[in-house]
Amino acid sequence: MNDRVIYLKPDEIPRQWYNILADIKMNPPLGPDGKPVTPDMLAPVFPMNLIEQEVSTQRWIDIPDEVLDVLSIWRPAPMVRAYNLERALDTPAKIYFKNEAVSPPGSHKPNTAVPQAYYNKVFGIKKITTETGAGQWGSALSFACSQFGLECKVFMVRISFDQKPYRKTMMAAWGGECIPSPSNLTKAGRDALEKNPDTPGTLGIAISEAIEAAVSDTTGQTRYSLGSVLNHVMLHQTIIGLEAKKQLAKIGVYPDVVIGCAGGGSNFAGLAFPFVYDKIHGKKVDIIPVEPAGCPTLTRGPFVYDFGDTAGYTPLLPMYSLGHDFVPPPVHAGGLRYHGMAPTVSQLVNEGLLEPRSITQRKAYEAGILVARTEGIIPAPETTHAIACAIDEALKAKAEGKEKTILFNWSGHGLLDLGAYEAFLSGKIKDIEMSDDQLNASEKVFSDYPKPQQLKSR
Amino acid sequence: MDDQTRDNLERRCPRLGSDIPFRYCMLSGEDDFPCGKILDCWWETFDVETYLKANLPESLFKGLVSPRPRDKVASLLKIVEQTKKRIGQ
Repeated sequence: MNDRVIYLKPDEIPRQWYNILADIKMNPPLGPDGKPVTPDMLAPVFPMNLIEQEVSTQRWIDIPDEVLDVLSIWRPAPMVRAYNLERALDTPAKIYFKNEAVSPPGSHKPNTAVPQAYYNKVFGIKKITTETGAGQWGSALSFACSQFGLECKVFMVRISFDQKPYRKTMMAAWGGECIPSPSNLTKAGRDALEKNPDTPGTLGIAISEAIEAAVSDTTGQTRYSLGSVLNHVMLHQTIIGLEAKKQLAKIGVYPDVVIGCAGGGSNFAGLAFPFVYDKIHGKKVDIIPVEPAGCPTLTRGPFVYDFGDTAGYTPLLPMYSLGHDFVPPPVHAGGLRYHGMAPTVSQLVNEGLLEPRSITQRKAYEAGILVARTEGIIPAPETTHAIACAIDEALKAKAEGKEKTILFNWSGHGLLDLGAYEAFLSGKIKDIEMSDDQLNASEKVFSDYPKPQQLKSR
Repeated sequence: MDDQTRDNLERRCPRLGSDIPFRYCMLSGEDDFPCGKILDCWWETFDVETYLKANLPESLFKGLVSPRPRDKVASLLKIVEQTKKRIGQ
């Protein structure tokens, strides 16, 4: 029998997170006055210890023992050699994946939910609010809050709340209070209900309710939590890549290619940033963020400052974007549908340290089905993009006759998103790709936008 | 396609992760306007662009075909400001 899984012992879990901001120069987010955003702007919604992490440039940041204790419920997460997939592809490549589907909520999201809950508790916060659409982030945060004795209030869009009773049950099992939005608990909710008592709710109302619930607590004991995009979220996720490096080192392997699906960027960053550190310091490794071919925000969009709202008074953040003339073609991978990417990921692309790739949605689901039938795990729809890219690389190695080592992040399981598979298996999902004309038209939008200074870290 | 048939068309909402009818998309954006992703989601099901162009004010339609990119942090800070105004802080 082959040694399929590489484990770390519990005491081998990484003790520090890796902060990419120590090794790259970043264009600062700009405020409405054109000056950088200051920590106090975020203080109404986040505790100051997390804001300090958000702006820190310290390379290694200690993971508190209390956080490690909770993470040890499922971490160190297994590293798996995908022997069956390799055989199915008849490739000389060695394919490994880091399995983040083993967490209690079934994805990488609790890697940041747990430290966020901890730092809120240390700051004296008693209650955390958030919003959720499909319920994935709400579930992860409910789990994390339960571990630290915090109240968790999740505003879930009513139409989803009614359709997905197992989601609210999952949150309730962890003690999270899942409230259908709009609710009578906030003015934003009451206003919406007054306008239409039968409203099915929207994500916009749910976010407004979650933030109001935090900002309006005059005791100062409530904060809001976000599970993607921000620097401290990327930081917390680096435990994935740090574990992966240790696991591969145990068998004397270093990957030639590192792959992750890139939505807001957090699961990609989690696996990739520790390898980016090596690359910055001279190691040869290809690092690939993957997104749907239909919405190539990273692969082909320009790098500019984007206005976040029509009034233009919110901070400008440097990010990849296709601009406001771009209407993304339809794809079925919720977490990957952002116009903007995490600023750190955008910067690394800008510096040439990452090599973005795009995958058509049909190809992604085909990959998902292949690994389900070989490796046995049904991947989350977002994860299938990383898998499809790994398969491409493995087939390329076969064509070139090279023994390449490929590592990808299995960011979550798909057991709570089987509707997407049903759509694929019944032939409802089509391939859509942008033409060069569409992309060129989109790039013209930015001719009058301020361009960030093209900083290079090396 | 008659109005009722069109309004009852269903598809999986990528943001909510569940099946929703087209009529929901027509009201689930800001201020009860159509969702900003309505063209994105429905254009391969029927000619939603022509439908919206015929049934929405021009400025609203232009806003849908030329949406400004949104960043979560920027959106968040905007909502904080709106919330403070709403609750009178």
